[in-house]
Amino acid sequence: MKQQISALMDGELYDDEAEALLDKLKRSPGTDGEWRTYHLIGDVLRQPDHTYSSIGTAMRERLQAEPTVLAPGRLAARNTRWFALSAAASVMALALVAWMSLQVGQEPPTQMVMHQQSVAARPASLSSNRGMSDYLMAHQEFSSGADVQGTASYIRTVAGQ
Amino acid sequence: MKPAIALIVALWASTACADPLWQDDLNWLKTMVFASHQTDYSGVFVYRYGNHVETSHIIHVADNDGEHARLVGMDGPRREIVRSNDQVWCFIGDSKIKLDGRRNGRRFPAVLPEQLSLLNENYQIKQTEEGRVAGFHAHAVVFKPKDALRYAHRMWAHSDSGLLLKSEVLDERDRVIEQNSFIQLTIGGNNIDRSWIKADKPEAAKLSHTEHRGPEHHAELPANPSGWLADVPSGFRKVAEMRRSLRDKKEPATHLVFSDGLASISIFVEALEGGQDDRPGLTSQGAIQVYRKVSGDYMLTVVGEVPPRTAMQVADSVRLGGR
Repeated sequence: MKQQISALMDGELYDDEAEALLDKLKRSPGTDGEWRTYHLIGDVLRQPDHTYSSIGTAMRERLQAEPTVLAPGRLAARNTRWFALSAAASVMALALVAWMSLQVGQEPPTQMVMHQQSVAARPASLSSNRGMSDYLMAHQEFSSGADVQGTASYIRTVAGQ
Repeated sequence: MKPAIALIVALWASTACADPLWQDDLNWLKTMVFASHQTDYSGVFVYRYGNHVETSHIIHVADNDGEHARLVGMDGPRREIVRSNDQVWCFIGDSKIKLDGRRNGRRFPAVLPEQLSLLNENYQIKQTEEGRVAGFHAHAVVFKPKDALRYAHRMWAHSDSGLLLKSEVLDERDRVIEQNSFIQLTIGGNNIDRSWIKADKPEAAKLSHTEHRGPEHHAELPANPSGWLADVPSGFRKVAEMRRSLRDKKEPATHLVFSDGLASISIFVEALEGGQDDRPGLTSQGAIQVYRKVSGDYMLTVVGEVPPRTAMQVADSVRLGGR
């Protein structure tokens, strides 16, 4: 019987033999398992991308036997939300870093202007130049900005020293 | 007819009562200036320019004796400024410098109306947004300059008192080049430490190095006594001229001050002494530029919260004349 099935699949049976065998297979229900097994063996030997097996059926049956659980659906949804949140957070962090580097890491445009005007200018900061504090203090006393901005503007005179 | 009038009155009353401080441009500007001088407050603020960030503690008290303020740097070596009306003490490390004689006879609030009209002439003043700074509700005000020779300013003032909570200086491309912002603030003087106001003075004896600097006595001179002239951008007016002594300098310097209501330009003219500090060039710190150049036998120093180009142009225009 098994040999006949194998021969049928390989196309080695005559038409009448094949018809007789197929009739037999239809009539006896137990043989369709063998029919499927031989097809599986052939499929695996030919190494196709998709191989049919009864594993799927077995799995489906077991899943059907399990009680219906609603929670997994919600869990999955929360996971995507967390993912979305962390994605948003990293985008924000990137934006923050970009903003900070824009705000903090940015050299004042004085250097550019200095080069354009090609004067004997150094990109030195005032804080490294203690002799300047005298001028800053004297200037600050009369600075009109101090009237609007208050005492906080005096920070300019001692910053970085 | 009657309901219509009632409606108009109700509308008028609601707009008038809603936010009286923010009704009229000059009115709230005045409130801001008054608040910076008359409010008691203490808090922590962050000063930032370029890649430099610095945190300071500030106390400000206005009492019967006038205005007192103390500014203490919270990072690095000791840096402290104590101001009592016209007098300023500056502590850096263990040295103490006393400065006094701020604009004789031009003390706040006498200077206010003139300054406000200058401000209004040179900047387009506009309220922009509302927001929160250091936990307080604030109104933002933008001072947009009428030319590229000065910086734009953006300030957030406390909506109730007008106290300045945050200020930014922006260049011509709207980039923030300097920022001052409270991160913690207490308004009202009940729990403020006032011990430093008088207790500070004997401390001078403990300091290793004490200096006294400032304008010479009776230094407020007539209109243009020194004969030094400069071309400043339109809108700037000369607000002071004096002779003052500077550290390590034998000869006192001539000091001219110009203001457009918000930004100031100082010009110092000294005889050339050839010391180590007499290097020409441009240095900057946030919105402040210092540009030095040699002109004949003199060293010129221009200091101001203006773009580098303006400081250089002003320095190039300084000349002795008219006498």
